[in-house]
Amino acid sequence: MRLSHENRAATWMTLPYILHFGLFMAYPLVFSLVLVFHKWDVFTPMQWVGLKNLVRLVHDDWFFRAIWNTLIFVGIHIPLQIALALFFAVLLNSRIRGRGFFRATFFLPVIVSGVVVSFVWLQLYSYENGILNQILLKLGLPRVPWLNSPRLAMPSIAIMATWKNVGLYIVMFLAGLQSVPKYLYEAADLDGASAWQKFVNVTLPMLNPTVVLVVVLSTIGGFSLFIEPYMMTDGGPENSTLSAVLYIYRQAFDFYRMGYAATLAFAFALIIFAVVLVQRRVVEVES
Amino acid sequence: MSAGNGNRSRWRFAMLALVAGVAIFSAGCQRRSVDRLVQHKLVYWPSANPQEIELARDLVREWNRLHPEVPVEMQPVPESQSTEEVLLAAIAGHTTPDVCSNIWPGAVAQFVRAGGLVPLDTFPDFDSLATSRLHAGVLNQVRQADGHIYEMPWKMNPVMLEYNVKMFREAGYSGLPALYDDFLEAGRRITADTNGDGRIDRWLMYVDFRVKWWTRFFDFYAFYLAASRGQALVKNRQVIFENPAAVQVFRFFRRGFDLGFFPRSRFQVDVFLMGYVACHPTGPWNIAHVEKFKPPGFEYDYAPIPVPDSSCLPPVTYGDPKDIAIFTTTRWPRDAWNFVKFLVTREADLKLLRVCSQIPVRKGLLQDSLYAAYFQAHPKMQRFAEQAAHTRGVDPVPELKEIFDAISHEFETCCLYGHKSPEQAVHDAAERAREILE
Repeated sequence: MRLSHENRAATWMTLPYILHFGLFMAYPLVFSLVLVFHKWDVFTPMQWVGLKNLVRLVHDDWFFRAIWNTLIFVGIHIPLQIALALFFAVLLNSRIRGRGFFRATFFLPVIVSGVVVSFVWLQLYSYENGILNQILLKLGLPRVPWLNSPRLAMPSIAIMATWKNVGLYIVMFLAGLQSVPKYLYEAADLDGASAWQKFVNVTLPMLNPTVVLVVVLSTIGGFSLFIEPYMMTDGGPENSTLSAVLYIYRQAFDFYRMGYAATLAFAFALIIFAVVLVQRRVVEVES
Repeated sequence: MSAGNGNRSRWRFAMLALVAGVAIFSAGCQRRSVDRLVQHKLVYWPSANPQEIELARDLVREWNRLHPEVPVEMQPVPESQSTEEVLLAAIAGHTTPDVCSNIWPGAVAQFVRAGGLVPLDTFPDFDSLATSRLHAGVLNQVRQADGHIYEMPWKMNPVMLEYNVKMFREAGYSGLPALYDDFLEAGRRITADTNGDGRIDRWLMYVDFRVKWWTRFFDFYAFYLAASRGQALVKNRQVIFENPAAVQVFRFFRRGFDLGFFPRSRFQVDVFLMGYVACHPTGPWNIAHVEKFKPPGFEYDYAPIPVPDSSCLPPVTYGDPKDIAIFTTTRWPRDAWNFVKFLVTREADLKLLRVCSQIPVRKGLLQDSLYAAYFQAHPKMQRFAEQAAHTRGVDPVPELKEIFDAISHEFETCCLYGHKSPEQAVHDAAERAREILE
């Protein structure tokens, strides 16, 4: 009887989560799956189209271009972000003057809205009168078409995204660094290890769980690239910054092809799942 | 026993709270429609820009004075990225107003497909009003695939070239050259490095080359209509823009960019007022802006879109029209129709000109004595009124945005980056448009 009362209480307490999960996760997921086999523009009744959306996806060059662009972004952004975050975390973990100030400064862009950051960097990258090109001109160098060149636009966005997010990963690495036992460094000192040897043989292996976490989080974050190309380039020039999420968004909310957008979203989710799976294995094996 | 009673009362209390919550929520949702049931009232959504709100407020005040039995409540279109987005969401949620006067004809096919609009040609006096106000061509442009007309053509902002009179005068021109070759020749004389730092800092024309689908209204589409003498892009769901006119337009822009006459940069300033460019495509809405911010002694004027050869004169341009429609959620369609008629009277059109500086869609506008004083006092608006007779809207196709998106990408690849020939780019855009329409 008492056990049943506890069960009931537990049910009541979990009910909000179950409702939230059902309404905002399970239902949309199942509904999206239903959409994969339908044509739907939100305003008129759904039409059963069978596998037509999947067939269309297979022949959609723009989707594969968007996937490729996203991979380029992830390929530049993640290594750059991890390397910089680790570098600054190690630096900020040492006893330097103004450590608190620097920590706060690096974290500041993380809390600024992506839209605001995109707008500011749009001004910085401006070909004619952007600050970066003005500096290059002052140095006697030619201007760089940061966002106007199909080859440079995505790397430029990756640099900006790295600047915005690196602070978060610095904090994670700092937490990881502070949990490394001091006696390991003392033992390495006794063995006569250099600073680099201590970093490679003590710090990095001990940071493995943090590295795995940072790689997975930044991969998922990287694959969800949207605000930056939406605000700065609208996927151009020549579709070079068209990310997968931006393409899915356009299909759904510009062109109201909900069924096809759902198909693209499922395909993209599977790709992310596969990449993260491989990545985890590689990172864990290497460590 | 008492524990059981306590549980039961807690259960009842929880159920009561749930029911009360649902009741309050649904009452909140339904309040609007209940209000409308109780009170014989029309809800009217004008555009949310300050001038149109002022006009709407003025017109609604007048209507309410004349028709106290059918009061109209004015609410500007709710803020969003576009009115079309808001209206489609409202159609899906059955929360549309009775009347809206910010209807872009390109979205009407979608609204009709969603069952959101009342066919206006079913009102007995529609024909008499339409024929007295509009040219037959205008009505045909807004006729939907089912043969009905769901929008009352109301106003337009014809796209023309705004140009710096002094720059062209110094280059030896008394006005803007009308043909492509002459226009580009002017580019040779105007494009220059004016401060001698080795970099071009003055160009012939600014083209907003972003790939957003609607940016093509102001370059490709306006120039295509001029070059093709007002031909459609799509007719009876068949792509018809794969033609010499479209190729000529692509080639014109390609040459302009290749020769360096059109800047390949996006600026964060007003390039026209700063004197960076000699001209740019725009509409009458820009007059107020230029008048407010122009530097002392700045001379500007408006001219029609250039064309490939003189057989295309006078050039047709994109009219950027906005129309009025009645939504199927209205409980008083007849009253709504009467209100629509009130919005398009001669006097209301004069207010539209005076308050909003936009051109009413009305035949004989320049011959009507009611407007003579206005155009005399506003000669630049007269340019747009003259152009208004040679305009076209957009084709009534639900997939129009996607088609413009396809054109926009090919425009960028061909004209801006030169990675495709004009023929290939037009062909590829047409192929993609055919796939979209399938």
